[in-house]
Amino acid sequence: MDERKDHLWKVAEEAEQRIDELMERGTAVGTLGVDVGTSKVVAARPKGKSVETASQLNAFMVVPWSRVTEKTLSQNEIAYYREGDELVIFGTDTDRFANMFNAEARRPMANGVLNPREKAAMGVLETILQAIVPKARAQGDILAFSVPAALPGREAELTYHEGTLRRYFEGMGYKAVAVNEGLAIIFSELEDENFSGIGISCGGGMCNGTVAFLSIPTIMFSIAKGGDFIDQSAGAVLNEHSTRVKIMKEEGLDLGRAPKDKFERALHIYYEDLVESLAEALRGALSRAEKLPRSDRALPIVISGGTAKPRGFRELFERALKSRSYPIEFAGVRMAADPLTATARGALVAAMYEK
Amino acid sequence: MRTVDAVGRGIEDPVLKLRFLRTSLKNYRRRDEVIGRVPWPSLRRFLYQWFTVGGLQRLLRNPLAVSLPVRGRARRSLRLAQGALVLTAASVAATAGGLTLFAMRLFRAEEAPVMAADAAPAPPAAAVVPVAAGTTEPEPGGPPETLGQRPAGIWQVEKGDGWELYSNGLRIETGYAVLGDKRRYRVFDQDVLSPETFDRPVGILFHTSESDVWPLEPGFNENLRGSTHRLLRYLAREKTYHYLIDRFGRVYRVVEDEAKANHAGHSVWQDEGRVYLNLNHAFLGVSFETRWEGGRALPITEAQFGSGKNLTAWLRQRWDIAPSMCVAHGLTSVNPRRHLIGHHLDWARGFPFASFGLPDAYSRPAPSVALFGFGYDSDFLKVLGEPWSGVFHAERALESEAARLGRSADDLRRDKRALYDRWLQEQARVDDSPRVPTLGG
Repeated sequence: MDERKDHLWKVAEEAEQRIDELMERGTAVGTLGVDVGTSKVVAARPKGKSVETASQLNAFMVVPWSRVTEKTLSQNEIAYYREGDELVIFGTDTDRFANMFNAEARRPMANGVLNPREKAAMGVLETILQAIVPKARAQGDILAFSVPAALPGREAELTYHEGTLRRYFEGMGYKAVAVNEGLAIIFSELEDENFSGIGISCGGGMCNGTVAFLSIPTIMFSIAKGGDFIDQSAGAVLNEHSTRVKIMKEEGLDLGRAPKDKFERALHIYYEDLVESLAEALRGALSRAEKLPRSDRALPIVISGGTAKPRGFRELFERALKSRSYPIEFAGVRMAADPLTATARGALVAAMYEK
Repeated sequence: MRTVDAVGRGIEDPVLKLRFLRTSLKNYRRRDEVIGRVPWPSLRRFLYQWFTVGGLQRLLRNPLAVSLPVRGRARRSLRLAQGALVLTAASVAATAGGLTLFAMRLFRAEEAPVMAADAAPAPPAAAVVPVAAGTTEPEPGGPPETLGQRPAGIWQVEKGDGWELYSNGLRIETGYAVLGDKRRYRVFDQDVLSPETFDRPVGILFHTSESDVWPLEPGFNENLRGSTHRLLRYLAREKTYHYLIDRFGRVYRVVEDEAKANHAGHSVWQDEGRVYLNLNHAFLGVSFETRWEGGRALPITEAQFGSGKNLTAWLRQRWDIAPSMCVAHGLTSVNPRRHLIGHHLDWARGFPFASFGLPDAYSRPAPSVALFGFGYDSDFLKVLGEPWSGVFHAERALESEAARLGRSADDLRRDKRALYDRWLQEQARVDDSPRVPTLGG
């Protein structure tokens, strides 16, 4: 059955649920945007009149195999697979499981690219991706996946990362296109500004920024600090596992309020460090640029990503920007409509553009 | 650049906007290299502006740009820019006339279509469309409809194995045609279900096929051909639509005109006091091979445009179909359970009615709203931004009616929706129209 089924929705006697079934089976997918982030992988695809997204935590942990453990995982519907004498727990359940056992979750990626210290990195990442990326339905289906900007001196790692992911997605039958993370945010959030502005993604492994003018990226920059940096640094000074710090961080940190305990104090300190580094990286990138975008309008800045989610982050970043001078004018800082899915949504726009 | 920016801001669909910007900038860079060699700064500036504005104007004049929504403000800014250029041209021409002409020739040859997926194909074989007098007024910048001689009418000139040729140049491929179920329907005439059963089509519904849309480039030839044939096999099996017009403008008959096809689902239309519910039987389905994406149909090709006009003209002549009965599926489709319009939205915006010699169905009061009090939800608005003007007209008419009766509009709407439910049940008892799906599925 190689015919397209999308137009089934046009058959007269169709029922709404039939369309939903088709969507659920992935038959309506012709384009897909995937944010392959250090902390999370998020896929976005068109669904009827809107866009639907799915995500998985990009993490895993390994526990020794025993019949009892496997049965427990199975009964609790925790995603895992067996590898020899070990059970690999992966995806969204990993943090919960790691916290429960006071263990450290591991990541297939670090600093935005495949983790060179994890031998099983690509295998685990593939398993996680399989949970949210269906095989291509037809020749010519396009998948756009996000890649970070290269850290200075580590361009080769990015080349390997991008090439490996491209091969994997092509193996699933897609025409795979890489899109820079910051640009994806611009595609997703700055449509009304003709895709002109600055998109910044604050992810788990790093922060990425792109300056684009009329959709053309002109400057890219990145820093090797992200959510993991905050979790690990705070964990180290608090003598806590970073997984536990991460959970506490996500439970309602407010960077606009004075810290109320030592956990929050540590998180505030490292957040301020990250934001200062980011503002400085933007200043450095703009100062070094040979050609700056010529525009009559001030450029808006959009921030996105899980690390930017805590309340007060935007204001903190704005303060850091104001304490420096820049060769171009900014039209304020705003948060993406949905910081966790903005990159995937932007990648979907890139995929639809390629279609 | 400012003009590109201004026009880009007027395009509402993000993907089309991205394509527009990228292609415009690509052209800009290509020209930039050449124009940069011109030694006089004022002439360089003029050439930059001319090619940017000129290229954009051509895009806006293109009747196929129906799918490229450009707001009025952007159009105005473009016109102003061009007006300013005319003045500049006069002075520049005086000093560098010869060189300008040479440069214009050189660069015009390089003009590329702005839409990557819309590379201009060969013009349609025949663009002469004989329809009722007064309906063929050409749109500004449209194809040269007045050139050439029109036949006195449309008749079948020749018929071969798998094709038919008509006097207006229309060629119908019949190799995929299947017999459908017998057409029989009743209408609500002056609010009463007519006892008479009809078997002739009285209208045309325009659809989009919702299938793959490949770039019109030689490198995609296999995909272009392959996806059309797969689509046709599917349509024939499911008896969906009467005609499909592929991206090269070939017209395929899918279901014989005399039979019903599955194309309309729950739908409502009204004309001359007659109300039609569920239009599979009463209307012919003509589908353009394109896709509804980001709130509008992707652009059809020039060839599809020409063939669509010729096919419409032939069907209207053959079945004596009134222009007011030629309408887009998206304007008729409803969700009966939730009493919402726009259940399907194909061509709910952007169908070139005027170029087809048809009245603008978008501005006509929407029968589903005026007669049956249907509404729309936030999903509908998310896709379309705002309803077509006919919905507003219908809502105003409904509110006036409520005021006249001394009732609230909501109250009246409830009654009208109940009327629709009754009529639907009544019709379902006498034919095979789809029934309202129950909540349990």
